[in-house]
Amino acid sequence: MTTLQLPAAVTAGLDRSPVPAYVVGTPRLLSATPPAVPERSLRWLTDATRDVALLGRGGAAFPVAAKLAAAGRRAEVLVNGCEGEPASWKDRVLMRRSPGLVVDGALLLGRALQSREITIAVGDPASAAALRSAAAEREGGRRVHIVPASSAFVGGEVQALVNGINGRAAVPNGRRVLPSERGLGGRPTFASNVETFAQLALLAALGPDGYAEVGTAAEPGTALATVHQTGRPLAVVEVPHGTPLTALVGSSGPVLLGGYHGTWSPTPTLIVERHALRAAGLTWGAGVVAVLPAETCAIGELARVAAWLAAESAGQCGPCVFGLRSIAADLAGLARGETVDVAALRRRLGLVDGRGACAHPSGAVRFVATGLAAYAEELRAHEDGRGCGRRTVGALPLGTLTAGAGR
Amino acid sequence: MSTVTASGISLAIDWTRCDGHGLCARLFPERIAADEWGFPIIAGGALEDDEIRSGRLAVRSCPRLALTLTPVESPLRHR
Repeated sequence: MTTLQLPAAVTAGLDRSPVPAYVVGTPRLLSATPPAVPERSLRWLTDATRDVALLGRGGAAFPVAAKLAAAGRRAEVLVNGCEGEPASWKDRVLMRRSPGLVVDGALLLGRALQSREITIAVGDPASAAALRSAAAEREGGRRVHIVPASSAFVGGEVQALVNGINGRAAVPNGRRVLPSERGLGGRPTFASNVETFAQLALLAALGPDGYAEVGTAAEPGTALATVHQTGRPLAVVEVPHGTPLTALVGSSGPVLLGGYHGTWSPTPTLIVERHALRAAGLTWGAGVVAVLPAETCAIGELARVAAWLAAESAGQCGPCVFGLRSIAADLAGLARGETVDVAALRRRLGLVDGRGACAHPSGAVRFVATGLAAYAEELRAHEDGRGCGRRTVGALPLGTLTAGAGR
Repeated sequence: MSTVTASGISLAIDWTRCDGHGLCARLFPERIAADEWGFPIIAGGALEDDEIRSGRLAVRSCPRLALTLTPVESPLRHR
């Protein structure tokens, strides 16, 4: 087993997944003995999710209580297990290790909302198999439809996912249509990330007080993080909110938070808590926490991911297609030590922001702009044509990792 | 003398439709510029009452029906 340089609070290495999973404190989502989940009314769930300020775990961090209210009774249930974020493994580890908790959460919501359909969309075959056997063991589990879905980055965006399941092209809409208005089969739909449903199952089992025994006052409970740290394979870690980021990646920055739509912070000084990170202009996003190894060229790493982000555009919106392509070209030039107009690059980053049908262009330029700010010294070295003298090792994963792959 | 007031109506682009033909920027340069790739950049929020006419002209001229006039706070507003 890999030795993980996590703090003493790490109690166990849980190795039933190709990506090792660890727990800081007492395991909840990754517990080997998940609690029985009682039936709860929509009213109970709305109050309880408000009490513990539960936020959606897919990246947008939308308040679950508000989403429940918007979807309303008889809404369909859609569990998003696509995990198109290449640096994230937390959803697959959760589905493979604790499929029962995910299915229990989906069934809980389906009963509370009196839904006709419960759909779990998954790209990873091992996760789908685990969910299928968990559903087969449960009363009412035959109502759970596990459907294969695209693991493409933009394809996992909820509008694109709904369109794909409805038999249309799996791309975002030109007009913003929330699933709570028109989702599966055109019906109002409560859609959220797999981890949200597992958290709902835990909340139903523990009650708001029990759920809030760990975490912070602003954000009770735990979160799943995918941690990329120098010199060890990537790992999924369940942490109580309030855990310092230094406990996950050590004290030297910069650190990437959230994923490839996320933000780079010059130092890992903050804690795992969406409110605290947002107040500092950072994001928790899909729970990716990554530091680059010292031997790699940071500008080259940013260029690699920028090229991938440009290629992942659904190709519908001009500023996304052309803007991300030219930003990626600028970065590639910088990485190779060519003369690049950095002022023009910065202007392009501003031009792409907010100009598309989905969050992809804004998220992509947020990743690049905060990365260039965090690696200002390296940027200067490349701008001068000196370069940083390091080669790009490809530390940040692109596309789908094969089972067992580290970095 | 007429008083200029904000209309509560603004320009919105359906980015999945826009192909960057650029007519809107030529017809309503006070509010619409073209970026380096030819796609529109809309300045400011709600149109003034005396701008609605130019706004309508730009909307009608879009060959892709990508440009619309939308109430500023509409939930169906394009992003």
